[in-house]
Amino acid sequence: MGISQELLDILACPKCKGDIYLNETKDGLVCDECKLLYEIREDIPIMLIDEAKAIDK
Amino acid sequence: MKALVTGAAGFIGSHLCEYLLKNGVRVVGIDNFMDYYPRSMKEANIVGMMHDKGFEFVEADILTVDLSKILDRVDIIFHEAAQAGVRASWGESFKIYSDNNVLATQVLLEACKASPIQKFVYASSSSVYGDTTDLPMRESSLPRPISPYGVSKLAAEHLCWLYYKNFGVPAVSLRYFTVYGARQRPDMAFHRFLRSATEGKHIAVYGDGEQSREFTHVDDIVEATWMASKNGLPGEVFNIGGGSRITLNQVIRLIQEIADCEIEVRYEEKQKGDVRHTFADMTKAAEELGYQPKVQLQDGLRREYEWMKELVESLSG
Repeated sequence: MGISQELLDILACPKCKGDIYLNETKDGLVCDECKLLYEIREDIPIMLIDEAKAIDK
Repeated sequence: MKALVTGAAGFIGSHLCEYLLKNGVRVVGIDNFMDYYPRSMKEANIVGMMHDKGFEFVEADILTVDLSKILDRVDIIFHEAAQAGVRASWGESFKIYSDNNVLATQVLLEACKASPIQKFVYASSSSVYGDTTDLPMRESSLPRPISPYGVSKLAAEHLCWLYYKNFGVPAVSLRYFTVYGARQRPDMAFHRFLRSATEGKHIAVYGDGEQSREFTHVDDIVEATWMASKNGLPGEVFNIGGGSRITLNQVIRLIQEIADCEIEVRYEEKQKGDVRHTFADMTKAAEELGYQPKVQLQDGLRREYEWMKELVESLSG
């Protein structure tokens, strides 16, 4: 089903409170500032800093 | 109308989300899946709602999530998230309780200062009363908790009051009395008793079993919570009970009738923090919220027993 735009609009990076966006594969939310990926598992965005994955950009 | 439900994957939170969705309220649910009991049980609580277009769910911690954008889009907040458990709240664990029950509530209330929400309903607990002999427990009684958990719930109630008094945050606190029903947490008495009855094992009772509780079915809790969001005056506190006060020994006899079996009972040492009796005076909830409990204990217990049989079957399958 994927997550809705409405939900995306109310989410922010829990670390810097900055903007995030859906990655190309639509299975995670990216914060460019913190270089972190917040995974989406079974349509649930996991907005926990400890669970986020570091990304190289 | 849109509501934020914290602790949305928990026992009461998930029932509340379903109730709201059925009543046409869109829901944003958040939950941090604290590991107090298995994550799979909480996931099962929300799985039926995940395809409902009115339901949006985020795994997040109140202490770190950016609340501003969420609060801009909701009308009501139901703050059900908490670290539960009276007996586990002693010693070093207290930090978990102060973080998740006190600090998390303060963070939410602080964020509400800048948001035009209509109501903030806080899920408090009868444990704030402590071991009083002044029964029934009235909202006007002096609360004197005897567990760190009760202290944390009372502290959060006080925060609700002061954020209302100083900043106009329209917070209402509900003192839930021993909630039971399907999806009940595994550490709670009915869950443990019914599971033992289903699996043919003994029941462990803390103390002599003559302690009494006001038991409240989760359907009544959810309805009262909804009523509080509509009718509860900001700054006020309400007892929410089920109108069924009986001893644990009587509960066990009822369970034996329902399950049609004999259950061995082993009495163990009374746990620190457990109160002797709870008994709600619900005059205020009836008069001001229009709340009347509907689910009789025997019916509610029978329904939870049916749920337990399914749960045990799914775990063994």
